[in-house]
Amino acid sequence: MTETDIETGTGTGRRPARLSARDLTLAYEDRTVVDGLDVDIPDGAVTVIVGPNACGKSTLLRALGRLLKPARGSVLLDGTELARIPTRAIARSLGLLPQSPVAPEAITVADLVSRGRQPHQRWWQQWSDADEHAVTEAMTRTDTAALAERSVDELSGGQRQRVWIAMALAQETDLLLLDEPTTYLDISHQVEVLDLCRRLNHERGRTVVAVLHDLNQAARYADHLIAMKSGRIVAQGAPSDIVTADLVRDVFGLESVVVPDPVTGSPLVVAGRPWGAGD
Amino acid sequence: MSAAVPISSPRSPRVRRRVGWTAAAVVALLAAVLLSLAVGARATAPSQVLDALWYGTPGKATAVVRDMRLPRTVVGLMVGAALAIAGTVLQGITRNPIADPGILGISHGASLGVVLAMTLAGVQTLSGYVWWAFAGAALASVAVYAVAARGRGGATPVKLALAGAAINALLLSVVHAVLTTHAAVLDRFRFWQVGSLPSQDTGIAAQIWPFLLVGVVLVASVARGLDALALGEDVAKGLGQNVATVRIVGGIGATILVGVGVAAAGPIAFVGLAVPHIARAIVGTDHRWLLPMAALVGPVMLLVADTVGRIVFPPSEVPSGVMTALIGVPFLIALVRRKKAVAA
Amino acid sequence: MTLSLARPAGYTLVRAGRASFLVHRRATAVALALTLLLAAACLTYLCAAQSYVAPSEALKVVLGQPSPDELTVGTFRLPRMTVGLLVGAAFGVAGALIQTVSRNPLASPDIIGVTQGASALTVGALTFGVTSYAYLPYLSVAGGLLAAALVYVFAWRGGLHATRFVLIGIGFAVALRSVTNLFMTKGDYLVAQQAKVWMTGSLADRGWDEAVPVTWALLLLTPFVCWAARAQRTVSMDDDTATALGIRLGRVRLGLALLGVVLASIATGAAGPVDFVALLAPQLARRMTRTAQIPLLSSALTGAVIVVVADLLGRKLFEPTQLPVGVLTAAVGAPYLIWLIIRGRTGGKA
Repeated sequence: MTETDIETGTGTGRRPARLSARDLTLAYEDRTVVDGLDVDIPDGAVTVIVGPNACGKSTLLRALGRLLKPARGSVLLDGTELARIPTRAIARSLGLLPQSPVAPEAITVADLVSRGRQPHQRWWQQWSDADEHAVTEAMTRTDTAALAERSVDELSGGQRQRVWIAMALAQETDLLLLDEPTTYLDISHQVEVLDLCRRLNHERGRTVVAVLHDLNQAARYADHLIAMKSGRIVAQGAPSDIVTADLVRDVFGLESVVVPDPVTGSPLVVAGRPWGAGD
Repeated sequence: MSAAVPISSPRSPRVRRRVGWTAAAVVALLAAVLLSLAVGARATAPSQVLDALWYGTPGKATAVVRDMRLPRTVVGLMVGAALAIAGTVLQGITRNPIADPGILGISHGASLGVVLAMTLAGVQTLSGYVWWAFAGAALASVAVYAVAARGRGGATPVKLALAGAAINALLLSVVHAVLTTHAAVLDRFRFWQVGSLPSQDTGIAAQIWPFLLVGVVLVASVARGLDALALGEDVAKGLGQNVATVRIVGGIGATILVGVGVAAAGPIAFVGLAVPHIARAIVGTDHRWLLPMAALVGPVMLLVADTVGRIVFPPSEVPSGVMTALIGVPFLIALVRRKKAVAA
Repeated sequence: MTLSLARPAGYTLVRAGRASFLVHRRATAVALALTLLLAAACLTYLCAAQSYVAPSEALKVVLGQPSPDELTVGTFRLPRMTVGLLVGAAFGVAGALIQTVSRNPLASPDIIGVTQGASALTVGALTFGVTSYAYLPYLSVAGGLLAAALVYVFAWRGGLHATRFVLIGIGFAVALRSVTNLFMTKGDYLVAQQAKVWMTGSLADRGWDEAVPVTWALLLLTPFVCWAARAQRTVSMDDDTATALGIRLGRVRLGLALLGVVLASIATGAAGPVDFVALLAPQLARRMTRTAQIPLLSSALTGAVIVVVADLLGRKLFEPTQLPVGVLTAAVGAPYLIWLIIRGRTGGKA
């Protein structure tokens, strides 16, 4: 991957961010997961949300993508509350890949990817040139064109994940939210997907928000890193500014050493005191 | 952490709750039995009931309780348990929450057996129907399994369910066709078809208990397998279960139990469908708890329905098949609504 | 080459100016074949339902030309066949919609309480003194809708969860069937007899007075069915993905279920609860077209073929005894479904 220069600021810019949350409180039934959270997603940047399991990072992403209704507060898209925008209109500017999507039975790859065009289609416009172009490009970019005729049921986990990403890409939205997009992928495909996010951002100026498990991948690919713990944002900013041994101890409760990544120079977290290394 | 109680230990609240509920179900069953013995056109006091049972003091009360209500109650116990267990197993095997002996064609297999007994063999007695009902149920389930097991993927839940529905449809149309063309058979069959507990001693209980026993043993032997199957076929295999064996043994057990139920009381709807859901809402999805709970709740439902049916419109009786549904539906709806997500 | 890869497999693109349509080739072929089959079945019905009429004469009557067989074909057979055809189509579509919404191939209007609601109200009315047959269709439509409304009210809990919907539907179905049985034991023998005939599902004595309202009702619903055919595609996705694509899944499901219920109620009103058409037709159609979702047009055509053929067989098979159409619908559809399952090209997917 080539080093990309980041022109955009990290949320401190002049214009208000397109996607933001104000006083956001999120709850499942009676369990509050996120309480009174404010966040701005910097435009035209790759934002990665990290944090330990059950810290509310996926919940936050779901709320940003209107999959979860806030118990209090609001998510704003271009200054308007999400709840006030027709869901179809949202779907034309904000794409979303949920954590474990379920494909309709016996559907083919091309058919599934083309479902991403749904927000752009009308009953009398079922397949335009734009649709064809977007689907072709999405499949080419995710390296799934060769699978087009296969049934999604018979794909491997990694292939399936790439098909789902292709579907989200075919939606052609300025904002793209990805919930753990690298799950099920081997190391080379993980890198490929993350490179893809970067390229989308770099070449198309798309805003990407992803939840990732791997702190090092997050630090490597994010312009803007949000670290969460128990429903709160502990730190946010450029990875090189905020990823320190203190932060890792604070957020993950893990002793570590932070060194510069030998390839990119971004912070690299090396876990300290492994088992058997002596006290 | 040091004070953690293992989930399976008798002290864990989960197990205690299950034991508590099971005890409550046993009490409810005893109450239902007593009610079934005491209530009717001629009301009998509980003390008289016990007197009649234990000492057999000669008299009208003893005659009613011993010769009419006792056999009826015993059959109700057996049929309720048999249908409830069969329903639980069939829902487990097909992993379809609406699978029950009725929808899967087994009941109608038994019906067809009875219709043929009436038309071809001229069988007139209830005890004569038993064998035909069994044969019909068995043939229907073999047919369902044979159809579902062919083709790609073997007997998957969806194929089992669909094959059951198709065979069911076919059987019912044959039954209808025979009935429409044989008026005399229709006259006898329509009473059998509603489903009701026999109002006098027909010696049926003595005939069916061995089958009940065999069915219960077969089903109990695959309880663990059904738990594993609920997690999906791959996981079940991973847990060392032979999926096909679980399905076949469970299916045979369920068929025998349905045969027992239908032979003794006609195709009583709803017990096989609703009781598993009610039991699941009470003790959860572990089949080692679920099956006994179903076996307790099934007879309670059937006996209470039967007892109420005797007294709502005197002097005529409302068949237990009808009352079961009227009493059971509110329960089912309340339970289904209470749960956030319904377990399949 | 790359361009054609992007288009979903099996579809042909039809364009007219800015408008564009995707046509599933196999589904279209199946629909055409079913239309031909239906036409053949209808012609056979008109010619051979009882006494033989030459096809040429039958066609003349259909086209409104004078013919000596005007009375037999035009007054008796044609309206009865029309009712059968429409009822079959309505049940086929209703079944397809309810199976789609519930994601359960076993679900159909006869299982979730619609037909039982219709039966309960109709039989109740017969038992408690309604003697005019003219009201019965309306009563049964009302009964079906009422039952569906109850199911919906009890099943709704912040959304229409598929399994909860089906289970509560079954609960109501069983309870209503019991109520119906109770009514039948309360009324006198003749009423029970009438009710029994109605409940088997019959097309006997259906004339233009019955055929015309059903035709209008279904014509009015056609635009909604067209909407459903497209909306149905989206229901097969999971909730999160559908929301991400800008689909209001809750509303779409509700709309589809409502349409299915209305269609089933109308069909039940016209012919009584004709068993199994709603269950069998969609499964047969899906297996024939091999599409990912249940095809509505083919379901409608399959349903129509099943009912017309079943009624014809019911009249011919045991002459002079006439079997009600409900007896034979399963005999016509089920063997074919069994054969399709055994052959298992689609791998047994719902």
